[in-house]
Amino acid sequence: MDEDLRLLREWRAEIPEPGQEWIIPQRRRMLARIRGRGRALGRRLLLVGALGAATALAVATLRPEAPAPSPASAPPVARLDSGVVLAHAAEVAGRRKGDRVPLPTQWHYTKTLDKQANSGTVTASEAWIRYDGRQSAAFDEGGKMVVSDVPPDPGDDDLSPQQYDAKLRELPTDPKKLLAKVTADRHWIDYPKEEGVPEAAEPDADRAYRVIMLYLSRYGTMPPRLEAAMFRALALVPGVRVEQGVSDAAGRSGLGVWMEGTDTVFRNYYILDRDTYRYLGTRMVWLRDEFIGGDSEPAFRKGAVWSTALLSSAIVDRPGRRG
Amino acid sequence: MTADEPGRLDDAEVIRRSERAPEVFADLFDRHAPALRRYVARRLGPALADDIVSDAFLAAFRRRHRYDASHPDARPWLYGIAARLISRHRRVEVRLYRALVRSGADEIAEPYTERVDDRIAAQQAGLAGALAELSPGDREVLLLVAWADMSYDDVARALDIPAGTVASRLHRARAKTRQALGGSHPATTREESFDG
Repeated sequence: MDEDLRLLREWRAEIPEPGQEWIIPQRRRMLARIRGRGRALGRRLLLVGALGAATALAVATLRPEAPAPSPASAPPVARLDSGVVLAHAAEVAGRRKGDRVPLPTQWHYTKTLDKQANSGTVTASEAWIRYDGRQSAAFDEGGKMVVSDVPPDPGDDDLSPQQYDAKLRELPTDPKKLLAKVTADRHWIDYPKEEGVPEAAEPDADRAYRVIMLYLSRYGTMPPRLEAAMFRALALVPGVRVEQGVSDAAGRSGLGVWMEGTDTVFRNYYILDRDTYRYLGTRMVWLRDEFIGGDSEPAFRKGAVWSTALLSSAIVDRPGRRG
Repeated sequence: MTADEPGRLDDAEVIRRSERAPEVFADLFDRHAPALRRYVARRLGPALADDIVSDAFLAAFRRRHRYDASHPDARPWLYGIAARLISRHRRVEVRLYRALVRSGADEIAEPYTERVDDRIAAQQAGLAGALAELSPGDREVLLLVAWADMSYDDVARALDIPAGTVASRLHRARAKTRQALGGSHPATTREESFDG
């Protein structure tokens, strides 16, 4: 009786289930796609934001009168002369005290805040990463410290704290030479390697800005003269703008650095402390409604804000310590 | 995922954790993507299958917060998402079945098989002809049962239809495949039974 089903099951049964040679690149492709378009760094946290969006939308259908996040709640911003600000930042940074280079077995501790774009929920997280990048640590929901091995991901563009340090030490302190070196760094051109995601040709100025801001935002062990050179190099990148009164997820108002470019969906600020010029956090403002996939409702509305704050960053001897 | 946890989490728990740690979704991929890829490749060939599997997991990721945690096994959910993506390529699928009926050559299986004997080739052509004739809904049910080893309940969940509908669709689909096979199977061909 079941002859038909048996024959059907046997037909094309030779088609194999793919193995590791397929799984590894395809898994990477999927992760690249769920992280968002293109660059892995920085967009990673936004995933949680997208989740918040959907939850907020579900609530909004029940309560149509729920107010949309309003850009009016942000303080008015004023644009500054970026050349003047960055020159001053370089002076202040150059006077800082240098840090000792950490041992590979020390840990980089960070405490961050993440304020969701739609719900406004603020999440604090604490994380430890070993200086050589081999292990990470965090408290689980029950308050227990969990140390995990970090699996190698050769296609990722992220680096261990130690590798960042090595990169920084290679940089010249002449602003023009520094800019040239950063722009030509193959690592930031070739990575992340993302299967199935078309290579986007990134203009040199965009890459220089992205990499310098990345270095400045990870200031574990930044040599002062180098930090000064980075601010001076930043002043040479066309399109870099500075605004006053831009707030991070902790509500701290600072100097918002952004780059005028082709992105019409967002404006991304890196926020610097207005006195010390230390990195405080990020702020991403939607310039228009953003639709994900074929959804008829926007996932993020114009004026929505996703912000983060770096509350603490320190080198410690073991996970669980905060400096 | 933490290193010191004994045992394996069920799919529902992996999906729940991926809400806060998106990278965890890779675990769901490792569990189900290879079999899903095989299933889709059997219907549409490897190139389209790669894209559909990738799109299905991306779509699943985006709606992971709506996953019904009372189902520990995410397979029906994933195959249901894939079914909608497969249905966009209905014409490709049907064209492949019809080509097999016409030429006797199975574009999908050929790279993996030696020559099949004539009797089996004729049966497969009969199956292909029947699959080409089935309504999309009936075909979906039949192939989820035959090629994805799903129970009625699984199929009902995957396609979001009542179990009774699954049963009636499967009944209809199998009537067609039996009829098609009857034509190539000497013991049950109609002519013979009329003659005998």
